Amino acid sequence: MYKQWSVDLNSDAKLMPKQVESSLQPNGEKTSPISVILVSSGSRGNKLLFRYPFQRVSENTSSATSKQRSPYVLNTSGDSVEDQDGDSREQTPLTDEQLVAGFSDSILATILATKSDMCGKKFELKIDNVRFVGHPTLLQPPHTIQANADASVINCMHNLSRRIAIALQHEERRCQYLTREAKLMLAVQDEVTTMTETDGTPQSPFRQILPKCKLARDLKEAYDSLCTTGVVRLHINNWLEVSFCLPHKIHRVGGKHIPPEALERSLKAIRPYHALLLLDNEKALLAQLPLDCSPALVRLIKTCSAVKNLQQLAQDADLALLQVFQIAAHLVYWGKAIIIYPLCENNVYMLSPHANICIYSPLAEQFALQFPGHDLPSMLAKFSLPVSLSEFRNPLDAPVHEAQLIQMVVWMLQHRLLFQLHTYVCLMVLPVEEEPGLWEEEPPLVTRVTGRSLSTPSALSFGSPTSSDDMTLTSPSMDNSSAELQTGGDSPLNKRMTETLLASLTEHERQAILRVPAAQNPEDLRLFARLLHYFRGHHHLEEIMYNENMSRSQLKTLFDKFRSVLVITNHEDPIISLFQSPPD
Amino acid sequence: MGSYRRIDCIFFSEFHPTLGPKITYQVTYIRHEFFYVYIITKPELQNKLITVTAMEKKLIGCPVCIEHKKYSRNALLFNLGLVCDARTKTCALEPIVKKLSGYLTTLELESGFISNEESKQKLLPILSTLLEELNVTGACTLPIDDSNTIHLKLIEQRKDPLVVQEYDVPVFTKNKDHFIKSQWDLTTQQILPFVDGYRHIQKISAEADVELNLVRIAVQNLLYYEVVTLVSIFQYSNVYCTTPKVQNLIDKKCLQEECIHYVSKLGQRTNLRDVFQLYCGLTPGTTVRDLCSRYSHQLQRVDERKLIQFGLMKGLIRRLQKYPVKVVRDERSRPPRLYTGCHSYDEICCKTGMSYKELDERLENDPNIVVCWK
Repeated sequence: MYKQWSVDLNSDAKLMPKQVESSLQPNGEKTSPISVILVSSGSRGNKLLFRYPFQRVSENTSSATSKQRSPYVLNTSGDSVEDQDGDSREQTPLTDEQLVAGFSDSILATILATKSDMCGKKFELKIDNVRFVGHPTLLQPPHTIQANADASVINCMHNLSRRIAIALQHEERRCQYLTREAKLMLAVQDEVTTMTETDGTPQSPFRQILPKCKLARDLKEAYDSLCTTGVVRLHINNWLEVSFCLPHKIHRVGGKHIPPEALERSLKAIRPYHALLLLDNEKALLAQLPLDCSPALVRLIKTCSAVKNLQQLAQDADLALLQVFQIAAHLVYWGKAIIIYPLCENNVYMLSPHANICIYSPLAEQFALQFPGHDLPSMLAKFSLPVSLSEFRNPLDAPVHEAQLIQMVVWMLQHRLLFQLHTYVCLMVLPVEEEPGLWEEEPPLVTRVTGRSLSTPSALSFGSPTSSDDMTLTSPSMDNSSAELQTGGDSPLNKRMTETLLASLTEHERQAILRVPAAQNPEDLRLFARLLHYFRGHHHLEEIMYNENMSRSQLKTLFDKFRSVLVITNHEDPIISLFQSPPD
Repeated sequence: MGSYRRIDCIFFSEFHPTLGPKITYQVTYIRHEFFYVYIITKPELQNKLITVTAMEKKLIGCPVCIEHKKYSRNALLFNLGLVCDARTKTCALEPIVKKLSGYLTTLELESGFISNEESKQKLLPILSTLLEELNVTGACTLPIDDSNTIHLKLIEQRKDPLVVQEYDVPVFTKNKDHFIKSQWDLTTQQILPFVDGYRHIQKISAEADVELNLVRIAVQNLLYYEVVTLVSIFQYSNVYCTTPKVQNLIDKKCLQEECIHYVSKLGQRTNLRDVFQLYCGLTPGTTVRDLCSRYSHQLQRVDERKLIQFGLMKGLIRRLQKYPVKVVRDERSRPPRLYTGCHSYDEICCKTGMSYKELDERLENDPNIVVCWK
């Protein structure tokens, strides 16, 4: 999904938001490359064209012109999460420099220059503790190197290699860019070799290559960016843009990274009632965008707000809901925004177990700067017990003060210090002794309805921007048969509907529900039956409110009436809690 | 997961004095031409474990070079390697390859096993046996000649365990009685009777009369093999709350059974509804004591300590710890050491010997201290 983007966000190292709690965690190094290497292979043999960081003493390299195949290699070392080979042990204590310095230029040239049969596919080589990963291309095969890295980190590095390869391939076809650059690199290497022979002082040819060769500078920049921000933005031959972000660096919560697969799964589960919370202020974010970015993106960023859900956002920004979903996912993937439930009075927040509440943390400092006169720990202490926004604010306060409190909550959400609690309901009747099949008949009911309105909307079910209606907050379930139940009265049709809905339960459950005093009221029973499929503990109150177009008090009253067969609990939404805490 | 260790091919390769690098023996055929540079390598790469992944295959080898005048070209180069599917998790195979290369080196140095054409032929049946036994049983014991036997075993690599703190409580994940105690080291044997799921490390150390660090290491070892897991100290004043995983109790039948069996009082059997209500009754601000008085009916057949233990072990609930934070107003006063927001009540009480009540009383009177629960 993300590879098709024509919009590629830039992130200047200065504007990049702080790493969360990185001072306490050593993991920053584990997703960074060890070095960048460019190797070529042709009819005259294998050549190491460029490597960065430089070795202290240069090796003697024989001259050869590169012809067709030119592998390009990036060295990286990775996380201590389970790696490609299933190894999850800690990294060795050897420094990265030592690991790679052990490889001379010529050996690198030999082992990394691959045969033509290996081109066009992913290539990986592990030697003791150093891993090389790449993508040999018939013209420019990039290789990336990692040791003990998470499989997804390797895949991302490979992705970067491939992107650079494609760009280089394109430029080579157009104007022989790579051949020219390679010639330059080799020429400088020859020069330095000659100088060394006459002077006797060893020098690194690669240091000399840098000022003369744009490609070398690009590779160096890729390496530097990967090591720091995790965001790479290059202009190959000052023309073709290559953008890349390493989600492992960007998405770190509590010191652990969020695996891209988990991220993608969460993004697929976003609903129209969710909201997008930007992690930077609007101005800073807009300044980071490239000049040719899509106007839809700009519009969305300008219209975005913590109190607006995605459906409203689509309406206000005049975009299709599907498009809003895609842009939102993109922003989240690039670490520029997170998904929350829109801010409102009744939202209940609590301190996140992963929040850093230390008085010496950089967050405490930032908070004090942003909100003079307030200190973070005191504010966080207020959320020790779940508190709703309305409780948190004091209605007697001046409106200015109130607004500031909201801003503080937004700040705390942005910095993953708080998460929201939702109410989940579960149907649980008093048991009969030895009833094994208590839940056997439940699943069909649940699966039947998940195919319906609860999944990510397609353009069809929500209409296009040009259709006159349907961008309101009405739920998608208006078109289903349960709408007939709202006509009221005790018609035989309604009675039958209720019976059908309850039919999927066991006899025992049905009896238990009918025994509840409120069940005598046909309206209440009808409503209960209609909402039955939500009572499996997977749909929170706000979701039911949105889907069924009901108010909070309506639902709470219903729960209260049927409390003898329901069990209610509060916890965070597992779908979006990913952004608040690292997965287990 | 099925093919996570399967070896597709074992080969023995050497540098022939006239023909160059070749695969002398291989069990099941694999195209190797592309990999020669990684099999018979330059000196710089010798004795290094090399894994190359390309073209849907992974090749693991360890090139060896033995230098001696008696060999043509003054050196014997060989490599015994494995080939698997590219998606295989091969880290358990790496020590096997290294060990095999070590064995062959020894054999060559002792009796010229490889350089002698006759004895070298024995390699082919050896490779076949290795391939079969490693794939089927994960282990292989193979006599080579009168004085040498190969012992190999595939050992799963596990994640490094968490650091064990003095206030952590180890609890067995499986039935304690299933363990053959004599298989464990002496320290572990000494502390085992005290690992009851309620005693924390400091207490175990005191009662078993074993030094604290040794207890820590022993428990860490048990953690590594997933024999125990860690929970927090149980007190009736503790506060817990549910996590989204509590819904697993509704979704997973086997978990339901396990739970009911674990938490029911001796000789009794509770039901799912009572248990689920109890877990959902755990909320921020509610102590276990409160739970006991509110849900006394449900607790008739449930042991609350086991309930909490099970909930923590399976991640259905989590403990809310108290963290005192000194909100520093006065520049001149000493910076706080323990009241920084980094140390929980559990930790502070353990380290200072204070009880919770004492700590509470002390902090209540200090206007500069706020308490965060998380």
